[in-house]
Amino acid sequence: MLSIFKSIPTHMDYKGQKLAEQIFQGIILFSAVIGFIYGLIIQQFGWTVYIVLGGFTVACVLTLPPWPMYRKTPLSWQPALPETSGETSQKPQESLKKKKHK
Amino acid sequence: MNTVLSRANSLFAFSLSVMAALTFGCFITTAFKDRRVPVSKVMLKNVDDFTGPRERSDLGFITFDLSPIFDWNVKQLFLYLSAEYATKSNALNQVVLWDKIVLRGENPKLNLRDMKSKYFFFDDGNGLRANKNITLTLSWNVVGILPLVVGSGQVSLPFPDMYETTKSY
Repeated sequence: MLSIFKSIPTHMDYKGQKLAEQIFQGIILFSAVIGFIYGLIIQQFGWTVYIVLGGFTVACVLTLPPWPMYRKTPLSWQPALPETSGETSQKPQESLKKKKHK
Repeated sequence: MNTVLSRANSLFAFSLSVMAALTFGCFITTAFKDRRVPVSKVMLKNVDDFTGPRERSDLGFITFDLSPIFDWNVKQLFLYLSAEYATKSNALNQVVLWDKIVLRGENPKLNLRDMKSKYFFFDDGNGLRANKNITLTLSWNVVGILPLVVGSGQVSLPFPDMYETTKSY
């Protein structure tokens, strides 16, 4: 069963990670300010906690799953080289031999 | 921040730090408040007291309203009534006669009539007899959300000329 969870792709690219961090920090700070003011007005700290928990769940929904907005600038990897085992084992040895002679 | 777990970790840790800052803010706004409660009505009667000394004792009726103390930092109040007096052997005696825990949400208007003392009014020695000046003090401790020493207050009602004997029961 664990393989099902591991096969779901959860990556974001770097800009997406930065955006996600800004989003959740902003949401939690905003809900904290709202909750503090509301609790101060009605003089019950329980409501402050509830509002911050609500902000926490909204931030969870918005930033934990990898939405497409976090994948807009993907890294461009090099195209994969076709590999055969003989070539790759010989090339590093040749380069090593050349360095030793120097 | 690449996987869900690391994002969830940083989100949760940030939320906890924000909650700690909010709790501190709640403490700052209420810790330095003046918590005096006006005593609305004090009445003193002199009736037969069958539980203690055989002579006529003083029976006190006190009404006070505690709701201004309950702000958002208060979780519960611990009230206690103590008697203070001076004797020949000790300069200051304090005896706790009665206490009560008031949780927030309960009725803050306490109307205490006919209360018997919960604990014995024992004196260290024989100083109660012919004691002219016994002060009854109602104090409270506030147990807050952030349980540092938030505050305590008291209302002191002097009952002078209170003559008690401990000779007969």
